[in-house]
Amino acid sequence: MDLLYEYRVFLLAGLLETLKMSLVVALGGTLCAIVLTFGVTSKPTLLRRVSFGLMELLRDLPLMVTVLLVYFMLPAAGVSLNPFWSCCAAISVWGGANGAQILRAGLASVGNGQRETAAAFGFGPLKALLLITLPQAMPVIIPPYVGLLTALVQATSLGSVVGAQELLRSGQVLIEQTTIMRGGSPAYLVYGSILVVYFTLCTLISAIGGRIERHFLRPYASGAEVGAKAHAIEATIPTSA
Amino acid sequence: MTFLDWGYILDALPDLFRGLGMTLMVSALAILFSLTLGLIGCALRRSRFKPAGYAVAAYVEFIRGTPYLVQIFFVFYGLPSLGLTLSIFWSGVLALTLWASAFHIESFRAGLSSVSKDIHNASSSLGLRPWHHGLFVVLPIALRSALPSTLNTVVGTIKNSAYLQAIGLVELTFVAVDRIAQEFRSVEMFLSICVIYLVVILGISALGHRLEKRLNRPYAAR
Repeated sequence: MDLLYEYRVFLLAGLLETLKMSLVVALGGTLCAIVLTFGVTSKPTLLRRVSFGLMELLRDLPLMVTVLLVYFMLPAAGVSLNPFWSCCAAISVWGGANGAQILRAGLASVGNGQRETAAAFGFGPLKALLLITLPQAMPVIIPPYVGLLTALVQATSLGSVVGAQELLRSGQVLIEQTTIMRGGSPAYLVYGSILVVYFTLCTLISAIGGRIERHFLRPYASGAEVGAKAHAIEATIPTSA
Repeated sequence: MTFLDWGYILDALPDLFRGLGMTLMVSALAILFSLTLGLIGCALRRSRFKPAGYAVAAYVEFIRGTPYLVQIFFVFYGLPSLGLTLSIFWSGVLALTLWASAFHIESFRAGLSSVSKDIHNASSSLGLRPWHHGLFVVLPIALRSALPSTLNTVVGTIKNSAYLQAIGLVELTFVAVDRIAQEFRSVEMFLSICVIYLVVILGISALGHRLEKRLNRPYAAR
């Protein structure tokens, strides 16, 4: 424990980087998810099929492969990103694909009659989506989406593989240094503490998600049916990385 | 030079397939162990002995709330100083098993709790004994409802085996990255492993869906 306290500034810098990455991938992932959802629900056949193919491809490849692929291939395509942004980009598109799956299934869970009624009342497609469909889909979307967000936060640990200076990487550096200088590996202590930090972070996100979920559930007399739909979506996405 | 060097891919194939063999081996062992541990964990979770139930629940929450990569490092680098030294291969199997069993416990628990209580009354009015009821009535229903998320975890186990390249297990991703580091043919290597992963993962997902359809046949008429 003394070791962790001694290097607290170094470790906190890593944690700050992890938090920055988490924020970036949460926003980036959501943005990608919205764009992809528009793609997979669009009318033009080509656009729909390409978006669908992209979504399935990203969902089926291991995240580790996606992160490495973006890191190694972007320079070959003439884009040079530092490890931080390269990793954020990879995790964002991965999160976007899974987020699109959640949004698509969530919106589909609202009956077609709702959309038709909205159209009969003269609502345009966007207005119907924002005012009629989305609010009803929210209780189905939120639980799996919160699961996905915790997965995204956990996924930022992959930054260490491509060399982003986040919490896990800081821990690795600390272990290497102390093993060389003092002998005896403090690995179990450092990695154990990092596990606890991530666990706290994810528990916090789940707790906040739970509150938001209850807010959207309020209009429903019984959440059982909604809960079953949300659970069915949750079974098709990774809630941990 | 063309964009893609097919000859290079062909030369690399034996290496890649050896890597794939390792990926499949680690995953198969982890799937087997984690399904077993999942059943045991689920039984403990629902047992009358409360502390065991709480311990299992805490374990599931902890694994689900922490990054898999850190779990791997803890198992491989951390456990030796706590007195458990495993080879890279068995560290990988252990880390994958620990991760997957948490998710299996949760799916099995959700499956069992989806079985309605009324069925219990129906069984006892038919004169079924408790263990008959459990084995022939509850289990078939619970397994079917747990199947989608269980399959998701099984496929996830194969995908997550790619993380094991970080501790130096020579599996499919490791082979590709290792060759890229030496020969810089990233397009060829990534194309190859993406195709191989897709074939394996889509193949196993398709098998799973067939199983799901087959098992749901008695219920399809409703």
